[in-house]
Amino acid sequence: MKKTLIAMLATSALTAPAVAQDVPQIGAAVYGLNAEFMQIWSAALEEHPAVQEGLVDITIFDGRYDALVQQEQFETMITQEFDAIIFVPIDIEAGATAVEAASEAGIPVVGSNTRVNSDLLHSYVGSDDVRSGYMLARYVLDQIGCEGNVVILEGPIGQSAQISRLEGNMQALAECPDVNILEQQTANWSRAEAQTLMENWLTSHDGEIDGVIGQNDEMALGAIEAIRAAGLSVDDFAVAGIDGITDALVAVQGGDMASILQDARAQAQGALDVALAAVKDDYEPMSDIWTSYTDMPWNAGADAEYSVPWTPVNDENVEALLATRQ
Amino acid sequence: MEAKQTAPAQAAQAQDAWKQQLAAYGQKYGILIALVLICLVLAVVNEHFLSTRNILNVLRQTSINGILAIGMTFVILTRGIDLSVGSVVALAGIVAASLATTSSTAMVAGGPYPALLAIAIGLSVGMACGAVSGVVVARFAVPAFVATLGMLSAARGLTLLYGDGRPVPALTPEFRWIGTGEVFGIPMPVILFAVVFLVAWWVLNSTRFGRHVYAAGGNPHAAEVSGINVKRIRLMVYVISGALAGLAGMMLAARTGSALPQAGIAYELDAIAAVVIGGTSLAGGVGRVTGTVIGALLIGVVNNGLDLMGVESYYQQVIKGVLIVAAVMLDQARHRRE
Amino acid sequence: MPPPLLEVKEVTKSFGGVTALSDGRFKLERGTVHALCGGNGAGKSTFLSIVMGIQPRDSGSILRDGAEVTFRTPGQALAAGISIIEQELSPVPAMTVAENIYLGREPLAVFGRVDFRTMNANAQALLDELHFGIDARTVMMDLSVAELQLVEIAKALSYDAEIIIMDEPTSALGEAEADQLFAAIATLKAQGKGIVYVSHRLSEIFEIADSYTVFRDGAYVGSGAISDVTREALIQMIVGRPLTEEFVKENVPGTDQALSVRGLNSLNHVKDVSFDVHRGEILAVFGLMGSGRSEIFERLFGLVEDMGGEIALDGKPIRVSSPAQAIDHGLAFVTEDRKGSGLVLSASVRANICMAQLAELGFGPVMSPQREGKAARDMIDKFRIKTATDLLDVAGLSGGNQQKVVLGKWFLTEPKVLLLDEPTRGVDVGAKREIYRVMSDFAAAGGAVVMVSSETDEVLGMADRAIVMRDGTISGELSRAELSADRLVHLAA
Repeated sequence: MKKTLIAMLATSALTAPAVAQDVPQIGAAVYGLNAEFMQIWSAALEEHPAVQEGLVDITIFDGRYDALVQQEQFETMITQEFDAIIFVPIDIEAGATAVEAASEAGIPVVGSNTRVNSDLLHSYVGSDDVRSGYMLARYVLDQIGCEGNVVILEGPIGQSAQISRLEGNMQALAECPDVNILEQQTANWSRAEAQTLMENWLTSHDGEIDGVIGQNDEMALGAIEAIRAAGLSVDDFAVAGIDGITDALVAVQGGDMASILQDARAQAQGALDVALAAVKDDYEPMSDIWTSYTDMPWNAGADAEYSVPWTPVNDENVEALLATRQ
Repeated sequence: MEAKQTAPAQAAQAQDAWKQQLAAYGQKYGILIALVLICLVLAVVNEHFLSTRNILNVLRQTSINGILAIGMTFVILTRGIDLSVGSVVALAGIVAASLATTSSTAMVAGGPYPALLAIAIGLSVGMACGAVSGVVVARFAVPAFVATLGMLSAARGLTLLYGDGRPVPALTPEFRWIGTGEVFGIPMPVILFAVVFLVAWWVLNSTRFGRHVYAAGGNPHAAEVSGINVKRIRLMVYVISGALAGLAGMMLAARTGSALPQAGIAYELDAIAAVVIGGTSLAGGVGRVTGTVIGALLIGVVNNGLDLMGVESYYQQVIKGVLIVAAVMLDQARHRRE
Repeated sequence: MPPPLLEVKEVTKSFGGVTALSDGRFKLERGTVHALCGGNGAGKSTFLSIVMGIQPRDSGSILRDGAEVTFRTPGQALAAGISIIEQELSPVPAMTVAENIYLGREPLAVFGRVDFRTMNANAQALLDELHFGIDARTVMMDLSVAELQLVEIAKALSYDAEIIIMDEPTSALGEAEADQLFAAIATLKAQGKGIVYVSHRLSEIFEIADSYTVFRDGAYVGSGAISDVTREALIQMIVGRPLTEEFVKENVPGTDQALSVRGLNSLNHVKDVSFDVHRGEILAVFGLMGSGRSEIFERLFGLVEDMGGEIALDGKPIRVSSPAQAIDHGLAFVTEDRKGSGLVLSASVRANICMAQLAELGFGPVMSPQREGKAARDMIDKFRIKTATDLLDVAGLSGGNQQKVVLGKWFLTEPKVLLLDEPTRGVDVGAKREIYRVMSDFAAAGGAVVMVSSETDEVLGMADRAIVMRDGTISGELSRAELSADRLVHLAA
């Protein structure tokens, strides 16, 4: 991480890094590095075998959660004639202009993790949020036996992940008509906000809540803290979240919740392989993800979309996953 | 003159005086009355509102903003403002957490250290941030808005640098006690909030330093001529605000079980809102820490009540906005009368 | 004979059962200056606010050129040719003179653009007609206080005002600046305007007014031509009891040196100033604004950087680099600007009185409300401060009582040397006399007083000796026997 930050500082000063002529230069424009998921993503990118072996030069740009900053970083990369760009946009619409500019300059753009509304994208390597929303709700509903009451902690209303995950939640809930949604409110992906919300719900729906559908792990963890603070047993609630952040893995290990891992590593390394395939002729993917995810065939790196499967975190895989976070 | 007045005129006058007195009380205790009224309405509308558990919930949910707002009261009394508290919350929280975590990735070598040491260091980090803001404001005469805006950005950046932008999880149970513990059934955050309030009340009302704060804010020139070291007072209030932000940051980390680098974003706005609703004048020299606590409780009660009633959180923001402006309008009306 | 410009008959006003004005009467003739006199609380402010349409009257009538009028807003009064120049001016400092005069009424050219050429020309014509000698394109913040007032007058006339009310116009002016204002008033008089002149300074009233009206306790007391009244009679009407002497002076200067100053310098206009003041002595420092008279005090009190010079107290050399040190040595400084640097207006009488002595009124860092309350009440009694309790905000007190609170604050520190900067500015005649008594008693008890004053009467009445400042240095020293208004003004200018 430190190295990345230094690299960011260097490039933000518009000093072109000294690179050997034959090594392709690829930029990764991510929406922001303040949260754990994008940090895992960035770390995975740098651990890609091609980077480790010096076959490609990677620069990561922190978009600081601002669409305009990302656009300016694109302009920088175009000026410096990067060979390809991996793009994790903050905004599905605002990112399109940046992609268009890069495309005009002949630089392929590979999307990763979050979508951008553009036909000019070379390819997209990400996971389907509707699917995860469905898996999330399905898990909670299975735990409570398809009857009882649930609450939904939503992401910021209007963000694409919130919209898609809610769509998936609703698909699963439609399969259990006997389940009541007691409350459905945004906690803005925040653990502290979810904790306050859940504390208040536990008061107003005393003894009625059976399941908590957290659209991300942070909010699910906030709900768990609220349950504990109210002197209740977490075992009496079915709680689940999405992302597989470290705290959530620990909670899964302790039997407090379920999480669905969004494989940041596969998204990052997959995107880099696809980008390299666009730059180099006859490139063969170097990351091991293509062998571990048999549902996602390489197809010569030419697919318009690669859907990285979601992995439910359970007793069998949690130890191994936690080991990767050390 | 008086003797010539007729009985009805005297009666009308008496009624007039009575009305004026009522209006004066209304303005003096307006915020408290508003809080009581809102509580009454919520108690009628929602059966759970007045339950012990919910009251403790409200107090617990208010404690962090309340403590920040108390620190902010000191600063605003001296005509200043501290925009950096939200970032200091994150920085102090993550530094203290790194000393009190069992997670091997985030731990400072040799840890976990005793909770008391972690807390002492967290408080020191907060005070150091406050001291830097304070020196910039007092010694270099930079407007408080600008100085603490700088600190807002710098402390957030330091937080991300310190923790590599990652959260610090797995805090020791001893450290978490300040956020989740209870004494005689009262949650620790509520106890800390009460202690901070009582100490702040005592400092502002009973100590020489308190007198100096009011004088330095009411009229810095007059205070200086009266032999008060206004620069030192200005420095001190930022140190107090920083220390309390540090405490709040550690409570937040202890409460959520993990110190997040993005914790406390925009917390300064809620703290300022509580101070303003509580009747402290942004022009300095006028205000009570009691009012601030009532202001913080008002925000907490409204958020809690709307959650209980299942009202969308976006309404809460609108209502908070209306409250802030209404409180200041009330304050202005009082000043016009005077 | 034409009807008077303005005539007010039996106007009354009460606030919530408290009568503020029970019988307001006033008659202003064309081409005259009419002084409105009265102590604080006499009802002058209420009277003026009714005339200006700021507050409605309960009963009575106002006649403008013989016709009955009722103003509901200041705008209506202005439209009827009545304009007020407030004691505290509120110009827009970054705008030019012309922009201030025509604020909100800027002449417009095509497309709503402000026609600066016309505006500047009109403003300049107005200023020249009045012989003010001000360039209409000057930025307001570059003007002196007196010039700001002249601009206000020009602004009033730009509204075609026939009646101009001036509320304490000289309170922030030095002698020479006041003369400039008086010349302007003479011009207005010659043009047939009527001036209502409100001032606590009797000497000014006798210098420029043609007639007077006195209010006391919210009621009309009397009126007449200035030429028919003596100073003593006017004071008696204002305070309501015979005043034997305007000044109180019972101290006798001693020979022990209290404060000795040698070669004092400061960044702000003090150049090599040396003087002594003895125990029991009242030393006046006379000078124009900017002559360095107040700056001496700022340097003595540690408010500005030490740029050289020696200070000795009771023969022992002392160093003063902060007000706290000055207070410890036994100096007390009553500043010129009561609201700006004397009082914390938002705080109580008690808090203000105790402010310079907090360390002595508690136990360590903890304050003792009992001791503070006692100290405050002692000073309230000593200075006869009119306040219901010591916990009231000082903002609610009259100017004279506020000044006594400032004095109380400093007497609580039991000073050896009292530095007074314009101690009676904006204070009514009755309160003035009490302040003079305090000064006299303090000196008589062995204290030393240094008093900056721009009122020659005050210097003549109170000082045992005077030094006159000009351009940061002492231009002369006069003993009590040598003191005269002419000499003071001569040395100062």
